[in-house]
Parts: sequence; C-alpha cells; structure tokens
Amino acid sequence: MSGLKFSLVLVMFLILASEFLMVAAFAAVSEDVAVSALRDAKGVVVSAYQTVLEAEEAGANVSGLLARLNEAVGVLSLARKAYAVGDFEETAFLADSSRDIGSEVEHEAVMLKNQALSEGLQRMVFSVIASVVSVVLIAAGSFWFWQFLKKRSVQAAVL
Amino acid sequence: MNAEQHRGWFIVGSLALMLMVAAPTLALFVRLPSSSERFSELWLLAPHHKAEDYPFNVKNGAAFTVYVGVGNRLGYSAYYRIDVKFRNQTQLLPNSSSSTPSPLNSTYEFHLFLEDDKTWETPFVFSFQGEPMFISNITINDALFHVNRSSIWNQERKGFYYQLFFELWLYNMTSQGFQYHNRFVGLWLNVTG
Repeated sequence: MSGLKFSLVLVMFLILASEFLMVAAFAAVSEDVAVSALRDAKGVVVSAYQTVLEAEEAGANVSGLLARLNEAVGVLSLARKAYAVGDFEETAFLADSSRDIGSEVEHEAVMLKNQALSEGLQRMVFSVIASVVSVVLIAAGSFWFWQFLKKRSVQAAVL
Repeated sequence: MNAEQHRGWFIVGSLALMLMVAAPTLALFVRLPSSSERFSELWLLAPHHKAEDYPFNVKNGAAFTVYVGVGNRLGYSAYYRIDVKFRNQTQLLPNSSSSTPSPLNSTYEFHLFLEDDKTWETPFVFSFQGEPMFISNITINDALFHVNRSSIWNQERKGFYYQLFFELWLYNMTSQGFQYHNRFVGLWLNVTG
C-alpha cells in the first residue's frame, strides 16, 4: 500500500515538474521567437516594398499597397515597443501580424505588376502597329499627292 | 506652278507629319533624362501649423505639440525613417558637409512609405520629466523614454538648453538598409523647471 502511495506521489511530482520545466523552456525560447518574428516581419516588409517598387516601375497604381505597407510598419513599430518592455508574446503576435500584412502586399504587388506589364505590352503593340500603319499611310498619301501635283503642273505647262 | 521647285519642302513636310504621328510610340522606347531635381523635404511646424511660435521655454511635465512632415520628390515611392534624437549643447548634431548623422542613439522613430509627389505629416506631442540641468525622461506621443541628459547653465543665453532634432533616413535597395538622407530639423528648448 505504501509502495502504491509512493508511486502516486512520484507520478504527481513528475507531472508537476514536467509542467514547470515546460513553462521554463517556453519562457526561454519566447525571446528568441520574438526576435525571430521581428526579423521575419522586417524582411517581409522590405521584400514587399521591393515588389511594390517593381510594380510601380511597370506602371501600376501602388497607392493602396503603400497604405497597407504603412499599416505593416505601424504594427511592427508596436511590436518593437512590446519587445522593449519585455512582452515577448505580444511582440511575436504583432510581428506576425505585420509579416502577414507584408505578405499580402507582396502577393498583390506581384499581381499588379504582372497586370501592368501585360497592359503595357498590349499598349505598346497597339501603339507600334498604329504608328507603322499611320506612317505607311502618310508616305503613300504623300507620294500619291506628289504625283497628282506633278501631273497637274505638267498639264498646266502643256496648256 | 512647278511642283519640282517645292519638292524639298514637300518631303520635309511629309517627314515631319510622320514623326508627329510616330512620336508617342518613339517615346515608349527613347527615354530622355529628366531635368527636374530629385529631393526630399523634411519640416517641423509649430502648434498652429505655422513656422512661428515654436515651443521654447518648456516646463517639467508640460506637453507641447509640433508637426513633423516629409515630402517625397524622388520620382519613386520611398521608404523613409525619421530618427528623433535629444541632445544637450555639447553633443554632436548631424554633419551636413560630410552627410553623417549624429552619433547619438535615436529616442523615437517614425517609419513611413510615401508615394512620389506626396507629403506626410504627423503631430509630435512631447513633454519632459526631470530638472532643468538633468532630463531623465521624455514622453513622446504617450510613450515614455529614458534619455538621462544633463546640461550646464548657458551664461550667454541664460538658460539650460537642449535640442530635440529629427533626422531623415532613406531606405536604399542596393545596400538593403537605411542611409542618412542628409536632412534634419531641430528645436532648441530652454528647460525652465
């Protein structure tokens, strides 16, 4: 009976000890997780900005994307504040939110860039065709008009 | 009228017309360098949104509001950072001739993305905690920061002087980091106790 009691106490002790160790382990990695989350968020926001710049260069309207990026850096700034006061859980949560906004922006920027490039290509092809046709028509029209004037001046000279 | 006499004018006229028609397409391929200057603006306005009546004599704990703004004329959407720094009379300011920032750590930062030809402005509310000769904390936009700056009595201007200044930094894609953009604005403050 005493052996059973001892086993019961031992099991309870092990359960409590394991919970304590888990909490301690969680607290120990929490700062690393927070730092890593901050680093990830910063990287994603910068990467999103780069893609937004590419979309802008392709001719896309990026006003909405920049507003979202400002939202992302605002949340990242809150995450840094939380980190400064040692609230690592809040830091990780806010940094992850910032990263998510950055990822969305990057995704939208890629779509806008592709759309702008495709529209730009269409415009360019149309413009080139229209210009070539116009130049050919002007050249042909000018030549025809020149011949007409020449013929008229010759007829006038004969008369 | 002899058409042959006007042949040259006729050819020039036709070519000019062709060039006019083809100009929009040529513009797609030929990019002329822009003659307009590329730059960024940084400003600081007083409580009434004017460049006058800036806070000067400040008391312990009293809150003041100024407005800090940025204008982007760089020709592309920029990623800016504004570093807010606090110094006494002997600590270094940024050096405009060598384009180097102040070596002091920033007390507060603003991060912003700004489209070309757009401006951004935000209120900046601050107050000090401490004595005229030693400022321990600054509260900026409801957040508390430890600064621990001391100042000595300025015999000439009769006061304990500190300066709050704002440096503009620009994200550089090539170096993958912020670079000091060689612009700063500051506010001299006489802390009166």
